[in-house]
Amino acid sequence: MSRDEAAPRVETSLVYAHGVAALTTLFVSVAFGILASIQLLSPETGAGTPWLSWGRIRYAHTQGIMLGWLGNAFFAFLYHAVPILTGRNVTSATLGRWLFALWNFAVLLPGWILVLAGVSQPLEWAEFPIGVDAFVIAGLALAAIQFLPAFFGRRLESLYVSSWYIIGGLVFTQLAYPMGNIVPEVVPGAQGAAFSGLWIHDAVGLFVTPLAVAILYFVIPAASGRPIYSHFLSMLGFWLLFLVYPLNGTHHYVYSVIPMEAQLTAIAASAILGVTVILVVFNLLMSLRGAGIFPRDAGLKFVVMSTIMYLVVSIQGSLQAQMAINQAVHFSDWVIGHSHLAMLGFATFAAAGGLVHAWQRIPWARYNARAVTWSYWLLLSGVMMMVASLTAAGIVEARLWQSDAPWLDSVRAARPFWLLRSLAGIPITAGFVALLAGLMTGPRGAGLRDVGVVAGADPVRDMTSVLNRAGEPA
Amino acid sequence: MTARAGRALRIAYVVAAVAGVAFFVMSVALLGVWPGRVLDRQVRAMSPERALGLTVSEERGRTIYGREGCAYCHTQQIRFVHADIRRFGAPTLAWETRFDFPHLWGTRRIGPDLARAGSVRTDDWHLAHLFAPRSVVTDSVMPSYAWLFDGSPDRPLQGVRDLVVYLQSLGRARELAGPDGEARARERCDCAGDHMMQMAFGSALNASPARTRTSGTDVPVLPVSVNERRGRQLYAANCASCHGPRGAGDGPAAASLVPAPSDLSSHEYATARIVDALWNGVAGTAMQAWRDYPPDDLAALTGVVQGFHGGQDAAVPDSLLATGERVYVANCVQCHGRDGRGDGSAAGELTIAPTNFRTQRPSMNSSLRAMREGVRGTRMASWTGRLSESEIVAVAAYVRSLYESNGGR
Repeated sequence: MSRDEAAPRVETSLVYAHGVAALTTLFVSVAFGILASIQLLSPETGAGTPWLSWGRIRYAHTQGIMLGWLGNAFFAFLYHAVPILTGRNVTSATLGRWLFALWNFAVLLPGWILVLAGVSQPLEWAEFPIGVDAFVIAGLALAAIQFLPAFFGRRLESLYVSSWYIIGGLVFTQLAYPMGNIVPEVVPGAQGAAFSGLWIHDAVGLFVTPLAVAILYFVIPAASGRPIYSHFLSMLGFWLLFLVYPLNGTHHYVYSVIPMEAQLTAIAASAILGVTVILVVFNLLMSLRGAGIFPRDAGLKFVVMSTIMYLVVSIQGSLQAQMAINQAVHFSDWVIGHSHLAMLGFATFAAAGGLVHAWQRIPWARYNARAVTWSYWLLLSGVMMMVASLTAAGIVEARLWQSDAPWLDSVRAARPFWLLRSLAGIPITAGFVALLAGLMTGPRGAGLRDVGVVAGADPVRDMTSVLNRAGEPA
Repeated sequence: MTARAGRALRIAYVVAAVAGVAFFVMSVALLGVWPGRVLDRQVRAMSPERALGLTVSEERGRTIYGREGCAYCHTQQIRFVHADIRRFGAPTLAWETRFDFPHLWGTRRIGPDLARAGSVRTDDWHLAHLFAPRSVVTDSVMPSYAWLFDGSPDRPLQGVRDLVVYLQSLGRARELAGPDGEARARERCDCAGDHMMQMAFGSALNASPARTRTSGTDVPVLPVSVNERRGRQLYAANCASCHGPRGAGDGPAAASLVPAPSDLSSHEYATARIVDALWNGVAGTAMQAWRDYPPDDLAALTGVVQGFHGGQDAAVPDSLLATGERVYVANCVQCHGRDGRGDGSAAGELTIAPTNFRTQRPSMNSSLRAMREGVRGTRMASWTGRLSESEIVAVAAYVRSLYESNGGR
């Protein structure tokens, strides 16, 4: 990796802006989620108010988490990582302000208002209406213009694995998004569902996962000072993921009328995906080599747990795609547990780790290490409680559905587990409050001191050299 | 070295771009486009020649179903697995979804699948349920959609009328295709050796245990011993919402159901009558069937219902009964039948079967009320003005004399 003589500039104000937007949209999205969970226990909560009804807030919850929290957190990370990975600046700070405004004020805000007002489309991970989709696509295009040209610098000789994931994520989301958001509106019924299945998985596999894994690959060497275990495994994992992720789609409709060949392809791809993730996670965990599962550095701590949850959720996904298991647990809370292990576990821990890592290295940002550590433990206990209760609920529901019991028995039986799930909202919310406190309180520049960079040093140049050791040619 | 590495990276970019796009295109082709073509062919082959789409009102209802997120708790996709088929009916075929823009298959079931929900329940039940779900289904967790009404369930706004019409259309296309359509689809699906596809044809189209059937359809034999405690629990959880905690027909949903739920406390019921109502429902009314409960539970409920009746009536003079019989024969037999079995010549034309007085004995007050005021929501009209008050009293007493506590068999 070579770079311009002048160190590249990290647009710290854009890291900060997207970080604040990520946390803001996170709190809104979590509030929707908690309200939805309480409504399952106490259905009269908010009854009679259309925009507080369960269906609408569920739309707002998932879209907010994916585009608001994860989207903004990923952008914040990219503003930190892209200059370090490429040795070049992002395209333009002005463009960055446009992207920020577009993403938050032309996508999220109107998207939320519209779905709550009843203007939406009933397609999973695609609930914002088509008018908003146009701005999402425009936003993804702006993001590509903002971040990708740096990777094509004339003097760049090699590309660290995070770069591959970033390029892949930004390019292929652009292709997949219209497929999932628009095609089922014009292709009817079962045929449209086939495309929905593709998108449900691509939203996770081509947007969330590549950017989250880019964070894992970036933060582990950058924060631990240890190079990646194997660049060969990195690249093998990357290519296998991009090959098999999109092929998973139809596993959302196993035992449907969609041709069995397509279902079996997706089921086989799901199994291969599990093996691939074992390989990726092996490479990441081996890179730690003695740093431990609970390293001291807060960003690294989040990222290591994200890596572990990535392994668990992927193995779980591979298993539940298999027909014998899918037949029983499909449609149940097991799947809701799985999706929260993915989005609240793996992706959120990666996003939080990436955000904390970038934040620590903003010289003027406040940072409170204790609060961030609290955040980690609260979130970890909350996620585990939530996933465990939902998984257990799913098993109970699946058993009742296989029996002759009246349908309502499965609803009655789920209630104690739903109560636990709602209670898990307490540590989760507290964890996010602690994360907010960690990034908003404490002395300015405390992050740099926390990671051992002396005041006055250039954090960007410093990190570049750390990653450079890690980033040997792929 | 540097130049070579730079060139290598540029070649890698080109290879990566081609490979990456190829991977993506492959996934769309294999899992989107190709299955779509197979399904298109299947739809063309298996669909009835004139499959019915949705009316304008039904389409509007579908939009509301979509925007309120109904599909996130209720699937509209019965899978090719035995548990689904047993619970909901025949698996969903592609042609049944050909008018669904976008599909509403769903991936989560908190409530039951609705692919064949049409014709399972009455409109008044749906309206009461949408207005206040727990007024009808005590343990439901469904949200209330009260804002779709003008203040009460019997004053629905246009949107919720559309929604109910849409709900009643679910599964209709396949119902209308009928046995001929099923046979045609089976023949043309080119799936003789496809075990999974064959599952689409082997079972009842609509397996909902709540769907009403003709009275008397394969009623189970109930055990003699009854668990009273279980009966009370079941009654409170499933029946009290309409029939009221003491069976007086005054539960929270009662006001919005037409005809109103029976006042169980003002009737004597033969066991067979109750079992039949539980097993087959009462067609044309909001009284659904409860075939998802085992005979033990139905027996326990029967005990609860019979326990609501209390008190003996005073004896009635024979002369009154003779008058009553004369008036009855002249006016009532077309519907209620010569012997009061509800099997008159016109009975088959009625959506709601006329009362069978052999298995069900109203209290004198209840009998008189029905004669004087009619029964709202049924073809039983008011006889005030058509019969004298003494004749009304005589008929009211006469029909009560027909009851046979052994079930009228």
